[in-house]
Order: sequence, then structure tokens, then C-alpha cells
Amino acid sequence: MKTKSNLKNIVNKNQIPVGPFHPLLEEAEYFNITVDGETVVDIDMDTGWMHRGHEFISEQKTFTQSIYLVERICGICSTSHPLAFVHAIEDVDNIEIPMRARYIRTLVGELERIHSHLLWAGLAGHFIGYDTVWMWAWKYREPVLQMFEIISGNRNHYGIMRVGGVGKDVDTASIPELNKILDTLDKKMDMIAKIVNDDPVLRSRLIGVGVLSKEDAIDYCAMGPTGRASGVRGDVRKDEPIDAYDLVDFNEITTENGDVYDKTVVRVLEIIESVKICRQCLNKLKIIDGPVLNNVKEISAGEGIGRYEAPRGEVFHYVRTDGTNRPVRHKVRAPSFNNIPTFQASCKGIPIADALITLAGVDPCYCCTERAIRVVNKKNNIDLLKLSRDKTANIRRNL
Amino acid sequence: MADYQEFIEKMGSKIKVEIKKKRRLYFQVKNDDILEVVDYLFNKMKCRLSTATATETYHGVEALYHFSDDKTGNYYCPRVIMKDKENPEMNSITPMIKGAEWIEREMAEWWGIKFIGHPRPIPLLSRNHPKAPNKPMRCGR
Repeated sequence: MKTKSNLKNIVNKNQIPVGPFHPLLEEAEYFNITVDGETVVDIDMDTGWMHRGHEFISEQKTFTQSIYLVERICGICSTSHPLAFVHAIEDVDNIEIPMRARYIRTLVGELERIHSHLLWAGLAGHFIGYDTVWMWAWKYREPVLQMFEIISGNRNHYGIMRVGGVGKDVDTASIPELNKILDTLDKKMDMIAKIVNDDPVLRSRLIGVGVLSKEDAIDYCAMGPTGRASGVRGDVRKDEPIDAYDLVDFNEITTENGDVYDKTVVRVLEIIESVKICRQCLNKLKIIDGPVLNNVKEISAGEGIGRYEAPRGEVFHYVRTDGTNRPVRHKVRAPSFNNIPTFQASCKGIPIADALITLAGVDPCYCCTERAIRVVNKKNNIDLLKLSRDKTANIRRNL
Repeated sequence: MADYQEFIEKMGSKIKVEIKKKRRLYFQVKNDDILEVVDYLFNKMKCRLSTATATETYHGVEALYHFSDDKTGNYYCPRVIMKDKENPEMNSITPMIKGAEWIEREMAEWWGIKFIGHPRPIPLLSRNHPKAPNKPMRCGR
């Protein structure tokens, strides 16, 4: 029955569509934000804009082929996914890794963390209209990509992870140059940490915005900087130290407030810790010699879990093997899959103007989240572009 | 292994251990007992639900949950096997753990598992899809 108060609710509440293609979102994603006046009262997410089929394709490939496939799940986490995948296969048979390879894996993983956090810091600055932060953060990300090029030959998608070690050694002659780049990076990261601590614009724009409470972070199983900024400790590098993480010294960063400012602080301090880890790895690589890859001839039937602390949180891969050279089941779960639903808790009750930076605050990766949609196309006549347009039209009709 | 032993003794006949190795415990649970086991893992042991994996085997359709004990680095993996491949159904753990909502919706969509008691049983990835696939991950297995 349409009572007076019901009608008032209907009149006051408006739906604001964000996406599927929106300047805030580097990837396709759709949020339907319900507002009462300027206050967000509900948020609904509609995923499924990228048809990628990674899990299914992986089950048709050999282990080595799948490494290259999972590397392409995400452009930013192109070390985390293959690393978690090889950890999962190594977990089936408890395969040991040569010491030098352990340090190389750790080095590349930490460089990825630095470049990912700098990329996020730049985007976050851009989203709040503070483009100086964007330009500076991306400027200092560039030397990290140069380090990747020196180590692997590529600025992204490094292609060096293998079951039993790494496929490419770090040239010892390049270590002084890598250390020199780290020296310049160290000073700049200290400067960025001071800016985050002191800048009145950042503080007034981010403190108290999009708070995720500790209880909600636990309920939603949030992870990575999203969980740690809410006081929920948990870092795969400390909890299950694989590779060289039990051999290097670093701190796990946690804060208590759960707002976007704390998420920024956690990431910036993590960059400083990562630089510290990289330096220790390079120092060890100067003195440790030996092979970087164990010759793994076959994988027995079994089940394996592999995980790695990606920049956004725990990347999880599960494989089931049957004794052949391919997985019979390969499950991939990126951290954004658990972190994105926290919007239900952190966005409600905040002004619409704060909603977008709150959405960006978890550093969401939608192509990771939607890694596995598969379109069954028996007659080879499905036009994906038309499907995408029809889907957008469906949403528009239902608004 | 000591942590596992306490858990195994506490759960008794409710679980059937399948694989026990360093930092990994895989065990089978009946659908009737899954909520009690998950309650113990999540609320008593303070484990975090990492994700869940569904698959289809000769024995039926499986849902394998992955709980991480972040204090020790151990993984607890309860497995529910649904023998009715045409209409697999099991109890939902989402009313207990909000973080399970998306993964159970995904498993329902891709593998055709019906989660009894799920508060929002709508497709996760093909909600507005004009030609939503029908149990796509089971096709061709």
C-alpha cells in the first residue's frame, strides 16, 4: 500500500549508476548507489563484464603453459598470480626451491608491491583532484619498472616463475645498478611518507572517510592493506613465510582506524618495508651462488594450495592434479574478490562525494575478480560485443 | 600438527580426514554437520574464510571450503560431497560469514549447487547477462 511515508521514501531516494564504464574505474564495473539526499543508503554491485575464462583455460594447459596464462590475469599482480600458482603445484609434492631462486622470487614480488602501491597512490590522488600526488607517485614508479627491465627484460609480465624455482637468474653484475636505483627510491619514499603524514589536503580529505570497522573487516574476510588498516593482522609473508620471507627482516604494518587515510598510510609504509626487503635480497644475491631451478620431472596426483601476499592481499590458487602434466581443477581467488564486498559496510552512511574515493580505497582489481567467466559457445556464433551492449541496455531498463 | 590434533579430536566423528600434511588439513564433512564445523573454525578458532572451490568428480559435485588460520599459517579445508549430480544442494554458510556470499553465489552459478539458506541467491557474474550460461564450468567434464 502506498502510504504517505512510503511515498516520501520513494521521492527522497535516488539511484546513481556508476559504470559500467566510468572515469573512476579503469576497468568495466557497475555500481548502483542509492542515496537519500546526499547520503549513501545502499550500494549494489553488478559484476561480470569481462569474459576471460582463466580457470577453464588453465585446466586445458600444461603447468608451464598455465604460468604464462595466470600471469595475464592481472597486469599489476603479474608476479603474485604465477607465484601463488607455482606454490600450489609445489605444495602437492612439497618441492624444495634453490636458495638463490627464493631470493629472486622475493625480490621480484616486493618490487611488484612497490610499483602497485605507487600506482594506487597516484590514482587515489587523481580521484580526489590532487594531481600533484598522481604525477609524483607515477614519476617514482618509473625507476621500479626500469629495475624489472634490468632483472627480467620486461617492464611487466616478467615470465620468470617456474615450478621448482625461477627461469631466469639475476645478473650479479647488474646488482650495483639495482642498488643505486633503490638508493634514490629510498629517499623519495621517505619524502612521500612525510607528505602523507603532514599534507593538510590529504588529511582533511581522507581522515574519517569510508571507515571499515574491525568487526566488518573480519566478517567480510577482508585482507591485505584493506584488512590491516582496520586492525586485522594477517600477512601471508609472516603467517606462512615461503620463498625468502623467513630469511629477511621486515615489519607487518597495521593501523586501527579503517578509513581511506589509514589505507594510504599502510601502503606507503609497506613500500618502505619492501625497499628494505629488496636491499636484503640484493645483498644476498651478491654472495649466494648456485642453481635457480630444480629439475621437476613430474607432479603426482594430489591437492595443493598456493598463496602469496599480493599488493592487495592474499592471492589464492588451488590445484588438483591427477599425475598428468595439467591440473584437473584450478581455482583462482584474487584479494579483490573478498575486499570489494566490504563496500556494503564502508559506503553506507557516507556522503556521495566520498563514495568514489572509498570505492578506490580498497585498490579494487576487477579483472582479477572476474577472472573466470566462460561463455559456452557451441556454434561459434555469439557476438560478445552485442552481448555486452544488450547487458548494458538491460541495466538501463531496470534503473 | 598439534593444532590439527586438537581440532580433529574436538570434531570427532563429524569429520573424516583425507589429507594431513604440513600446514594443510583436508577433511570430509556431511552436509548436516558443515554449519557446526564452520562455526567452530570461524567463531572459536578465529579462522578466516579464504575462499571455496567447487568441482565435479565421479562421486558427485564437491564444495571445498578453505579456512586460513592466520596465527599459525595452517589451512583447514572442509569438503562437502553432494552425490545427486542433477540437483546438488547443501547448507549455506553465508548467514554465519558475510564473506562467503560472493563465492557461494559464484559456485551456484557455475556449478549448479543450491545453497539452502543463502540470503541473496542471485547470479554473481551473469546477473544481467542476455544469454546467461547454464552451469558453464560443468559443461564438458
